[in-house]
Amino acid sequence: MAALARTLNALALLGVCGVLLYAFYWQIVRGELPCPLCLLQRAAFLAAGFGFLLNVRFGSSESHYGVVVVGSLAGAAFAVRQILLHIVPGTGAYGSAVLGYHFYTWALVGFVVMIAFAGVMLFIGAQFVEGVQEVRPSTGAQALGWLFVLVVLANAVSTLLECGFGPCPDNPTEYELLQK
Amino acid sequence: MISLPIALPFVVLVLAALTAVLGLRRTSVLVWLAAMALMVYSFAGHVTDPLKIAL
Repeated sequence: MAALARTLNALALLGVCGVLLYAFYWQIVRGELPCPLCLLQRAAFLAAGFGFLLNVRFGSSESHYGVVVVGSLAGAAFAVRQILLHIVPGTGAYGSAVLGYHFYTWALVGFVVMIAFAGVMLFIGAQFVEGVQEVRPSTGAQALGWLFVLVVLANAVSTLLECGFGPCPDNPTEYELLQK
Repeated sequence: MISLPIALPFVVLVLAALTAVLGLRRTSVLVWLAAMALMVYSFAGHVTDPLKIAL
């Protein structure tokens, strides 16, 4: 059961990395810069994904799933805020729609799915028997961990380039630090 | 309310992920908590942004 839980957590971590890499695709290839609330939703994905990283790296623990839930709740709050502000008729939307929904709507779906995933995983009690321990992680777990670090680092660099050392513009159209 | 760089939570999350990968579980969770606090603080500063764009 512990191995199954670790595999599922690894897949979840891979999913979080995939979501953020897809967002990068839209940012870099399609040229759609994320707004401040969009950036906060990305940060919340990373914060929730951190819980999966802890499970993969150190073994499953209830508190690690707590990290997932708290990160996802924060992200859901950011996404709901943006949805509610754009839901008013005539207020438009931010960015493109994918499969009929905007990114902040998909983000809310993602956060709810992660909360549900954490809730379901908590039912698998056998994964907690070993407890958290300082184990030498497998090569796959280590590689996944470093992939996550890279994704977080890429987001930090991208946000720094876009917003500089201050608060981000409300409707960013160019990278602030790349301006001449 | 002082506006913090929105990149700050990301930078702190980099540290959290790095310390976790390097095996420092307790430290990484503390750093993650700091990142969460920064995120919520930044949210308070940007909470009305979409409304400003719309209007």
